[in-house]
Parts: sequence; C-alpha cells; structure tokens
Amino acid sequence: MKFYVGIKMVPDVNAPLQIKDGQLIQDADRMILNAYDASAVEEALVLKEKHGGEVEVVSIGSPKASETIRKALAMGADKATHIQTTGNEAYDSATYARILAAFFKDKEYDVLSFGKQSQDTDAGLTGGMVAEMLGLPFATNAVGLQAEDGKLLVKRQGDSGQEMIELPTPCAVTCSNDMNEPRIPNLKGIMASKRKPMEQVELSSLGLSEDELTPKTSVTGYEEKPGREPGKKFEGEPDEIAREVAQLLDTEANVI
Amino acid sequence: MSTILTYIAISDGKIKRSSLEVLSHCKELADKDGHSVEAVIIDKDASSFVDGVKKYGASKIYVVEDPIFKNHMNTPLLKALANVMGATSPSVFAFASTESTKDVLGALAANQQAAVLSDVSSFELTDGGIKAKRPVMAAKILADAEAKGEKILVSVRSGSYDLVENEANSEVVSVDFSLNDGELRTTLKEIISVSGDTIDLNEAASIVAAGRGVKDEEGQKLITELADVLKAGIGASRALTESGMYDPSLQIGQTGKVVSPQLYIAIGISGAIQHVAGMANSKVIVAINKDPDAPIFEIADYGIVGDLYKVLPPFIDELKKIKA
Ligand SMILES: Cc1cc2nc3c(=O)[nH]c(=O)nc-3n(C[C@H](O)[C@H](O)[C@H](O)COP(=O)(O)OP(=O)(O)OC[C@H]3O[C@@H](n4cnc5c(N)ncnc54)[C@H](O)[C@@H]3O)c2cc1C
Ligand SMILES: Nc1ncnc2c1ncn2[C@@H]1O[C@H](COP(=O)(O)O)[C@@H](O)[C@H]1O
Repeated sequence: MKFYVGIKMVPDVNAPLQIKDGQLIQDADRMILNAYDASAVEEALVLKEKHGGEVEVVSIGSPKASETIRKALAMGADKATHIQTTGNEAYDSATYARILAAFFKDKEYDVLSFGKQSQDTDAGLTGGMVAEMLGLPFATNAVGLQAEDGKLLVKRQGDSGQEMIELPTPCAVTCSNDMNEPRIPNLKGIMASKRKPMEQVELSSLGLSEDELTPKTSVTGYEEKPGREPGKKFEGEPDEIAREVAQLLDTEANVI
Repeated sequence: MSTILTYIAISDGKIKRSSLEVLSHCKELADKDGHSVEAVIIDKDASSFVDGVKKYGASKIYVVEDPIFKNHMNTPLLKALANVMGATSPSVFAFASTESTKDVLGALAANQQAAVLSDVSSFELTDGGIKAKRPVMAAKILADAEAKGEKILVSVRSGSYDLVENEANSEVVSVDFSLNDGELRTTLKEIISVSGDTIDLNEAASIVAAGRGVKDEEGQKLITELADVLKAGIGASRALTESGMYDPSLQIGQTGKVVSPQLYIAIGISGAIQHVAGMANSKVIVAINKDPDAPIFEIADYGIVGDLYKVLPPFIDELKKIKA
C-alpha cells in the first residue's frame, strides 16, 4: 500500500508561552511533530511492515519544518515532500487542505492519512476537507487500522462507542493518538533519515490562485483563559478530611 | 434578513442537549438582529423529535427521515446536510461539537465552500460573518477568531450556552433524501458500543473520573460506588483508557471528550494539561491525589491530599449519609 501522511510542525503546548499585545509569543525552539501525526506515521509504518508498500510524508511549512520531516523519516518513513512557505502566512485548515489537495491531485496512492487535529489549534478540519476536495471516501478519529486487498478497515471512536468502517482504496483517514504509541527514532533511524529523499516543492508550482490561498478565517488576537480561583487543600487524617469535604460539597458548594 | 440554521444531533434516541444549547443561543442572536432561526433534524425517526425542537424557537424545522440514519455514517449525513443547505441557504449553520459533527464538518465546509470555525466556546454575528472565541494550546489560551463569507459553519463546545425555552409555532418541512447504491462507498461493518445505560458525559451533572492512581479492581469498585451514590457519569484519564481499564469513549481531555458538569471529581489524576483541557470548565472540581504537588490541585476547588484507597471509603460513606 502506498501511504501519504500529512504531517505538521506545531508548537509544543507544554512550553512556556505568553501573550503580548494580543499576540502569542512562543519559544521558537520548541516546535514538534504534531502528536496525532506521529500516530498516523506509526500506523502507516506498521501496515507497511505487514503488507509492504511505501510511506511518504508531506508537510507544508517554513524551512524549519524540515526538522519535523526528518523526525518522521527517522521513525521509518521512506521519503518526504516539503512544500515550502515562509511560515508567516496566516493559513487556516482550509488553505492547508487546498494546498494538500492540489499536491495529491495527480499522485497515485492507496491511503491519505492525517492527524485528527492539530495539537495547538484543535481545529480537526483538514483531513475531511482534503478528502472532499479529492472526492475520496474517508473516516475520521481512527483508533485502529487494518489493510486488506483494496480496502482499509478503520475502527473509529464515535460519540458513544466505536464503529468499524470499511473503505475502498484510495481513501483518506484521520488518526487519533489512541491508536498506538509512536516509536522513538533510534540512532540507526536518525542516521538513515539523513540519506532519505526530501523533495522541495515550491508552493507556486501547485497552480493555486491568490484567491485559493486567501483564508476565510483569521485569528485577530489571543487572551488568557479566565483562571479559576485557587481552592482549599485538605491534608491530614483521611477519614476526617474525606468527611469534611463531603459535607462542604453539600453545604457550601451545593452540588450534592 | 438572513437565516441561521442549527443542526439537532440525535444520539441514542434522544436530542443531544448540546444542540439545544446551540439552538437557544442562535435564537437569541437571531432575535437581536432580526434574522430567522431554523433547525434541521436528520434521523431515522426525525419527525418524532420535532416537538422537542419547537420549544426552542426555530421558525422552521427541516426533517430528513430515512432508515439509513439509524447509525452515524458520514456519506449520507454529508449529503443530507448539503441538501438542507441547498434548500434554505443559511448564512450561518451552527452545530454542537460532537464526534459525529467533527466527522463531517471539514468535508461539508469544503463541499459548500463555506468558511468554518470548529469547537468554539462562544460566537457572535458580525457584518458579513461571525466572530468567536476558540480555546487553543490545549485550552490554555483563548483565540479571538473571525470567519467571513456568504456561508459560515460553526461548531460549539457542549456546555457553552444555557437552554432557553421559547416555544414557537414552527413550520415543519420534510426534505427528500435518497442515496444510490454506488454513492455510499463506505460500509459500516460493526458498532462496538458501551452499554446503553451509561450516562452521556456531555450532559452529566456530576462526573467521577479515574486516573492512573486507580490501580486495580478494588479501586474501580470504589469509583463505581461513588458514581452510584452521586448518580454521576464515570470518566477516565488517558492512562486508564489506554490500559483498557475503561472504555475509550470515557476519555476526558484533548483527545477525548470536553465536559462541563456541576461537579467533577478527579481521582488519582495528575492534571496534565491535555486532561485539564477537557474538564477545566466544570463548575466545582474536587481532586483526590496523594501527591500534594500534583498540578490538578491548582485548579481544584476542594483538594484532598491522600491515598484514594483510604479517602474514598469514608467519602462515600459520608455522601451516603447526606443523601439519605
Ligand atoms: C496530544 C495529546 C493528547 C492527550 N489527550 C489526553 C486526553 O484527552 N485525556 C487525558 O486524560 N490525557 C490525555 N493525554 C495524556 C496526558 O498528557 C497524561 O499523560 C494523562 O492525562 C495522565 O493520566 P493520569 O493523570 O491518570 O496519570 P498520571 O499522570 O500518571 O497521574 C497519576 C496520578 O495519580 C496519583 N496517585 C497514584 N496513586 C495514588 C493513590 N493511591 N491515591 C491517590 N493518588 C494516587 C499520582 O500522584 C499521580 O498524580 C494526551 C497527551 C497528548 C500528548
Ligand atoms: N501544514 C501542514 N502540512 C501537512 N499536513 C497538515 C498541515 N496542516 C494540517 N495538516 C494535516 O491536517 C491535520 C490537522 O488538521 P487541523 O486540525 O485542521 O489543522 C494534521 O494532523 C495534518 O495531518
């Protein structure tokens, strides 16, 4: 099976961040491979190891995104395409989806795989958009994948249970991190990644109009989430503090 | 005057409260600016839910009824949503952010060339669009977002708005639906459901959530007992859905569900930001953790420092007395 996996470089949400004049200031050195994309790469690798095929990763991003791409190659992806942007564009999911769809348009593949959402924005839109733009059957929020001849079997997490869905290939899928534990690249993988092909593609070569590259949504500012008032902490004899808090939930908080 | 359309989600034979929250908010926005608010129900028994929707003030209710909507599948749902958008040309189409919504929102936006904002915690109408607040960076920060265009899709986190009853004399419009054999493409092979009587976490007034500190059956029994006393839903951290101790549908957090109950009791949960992202909007948070420095205490209204195996039995006992 030929897999393409869309991967995105995102800021590490655990890194310190500040808001200054409505702008989000983040530590530029703490950029990582989106966790959901790492799971998508992992699952593609597992299926390739089982059934043969090829895993290619594609990322749209600034020159720095090449580090993220190397990480996926070090995990074991066979090759990569880097669609170059300056990184200063305010693209939304739809813009990235249009770029990806333009790139995939004349490619051959069995499965296009994506993360279920970007870890920083939680938008969760790109995968479904690309599928619709290319007219592919798709499933989102996959927690398990199995490949069969000409078919992809997807276990997805729905609202109250899991659904088993069979998709004919070519198809698209978005992956949850509940699917697997992505491998940590070892030294051999890291060395090998340096020799793996990473093709650079100019955004302008994809034939998208100015209009198609203009997002319809934008972020105009950021603010701190209103914090919670610090509460009371109870330490001491378990029997006493447990009963005390139970009483307070009834008499003070009124939630029993 | 334009139309705001609201999607009414049906789950396990019931209207999802979160979609009525969205309808209540849309009704308020529409009344303020003289727009009309409409609703759409897509289900195998869609018409049976009409009365439940009328109460919230939709001037028109579109009903798409077909056996295929017995279970969630994205292809027929997308087609039905596109049909309804064709019939009423809404300027804004608002959804509650459920897994089913998430499954189709991006594709519907692409199909309709609509601008879309997902998972917002509030939104307002603007000249030519909407503005919204979106939790980002694992819900540590709020982004002010805007969408502009003739058609806008928006999905709203559950618990963002209150229900406001507003009985209307809604006109009911049934929309034809059919799907050819070839159109479906995907096959739903099986549904692996958690037992039907579990409480919908999005609607639960109280949630008891278990984390890695709950190590064994004895711990699970205490969790169940506490949940029973409080008539609470049971949730879990990723540590325990991953280990298989709890069903993945019960995961609360960035990957799992976002909840906002009156009472959230986090037991043996450290309070990683990805977990907090899913529960920080709870009204009252109780944390039980043996590590006094666990981050969960920073957001807990009541923090009990102690071993859950020692704290829970008297806690449950005292609550039983209060309830009696
Ligand atoms: C992209 C991404 C998405 C994620 N999404 C989610 C999500 O949706 N939901 C989620 O929960 N996590 C999510 N995570 C994982 C998250 O980062 C944490 O790893 C997870 O929440 C930890 O679960 P925990 O608190 O149960 O376990 P731990 O962090 O191991 O904490 C266990 C706690 O139990 C306490 N404890 C142990 N024994 C006892 C005892 N006997 N009595 C009392 N206390 C005890 C310990 O002091 C500790 O604080 C996500 C991670 C990533 C990267
Ligand atoms: N710049 C990008 N390059 C490659 N893939 C991307 C990019 N942006 C989004 N994606 C894919 O879309 C998923 C997230 O979509 P969203 O949450 O809409 O941002 C990611 O997990 C990737 O698989």
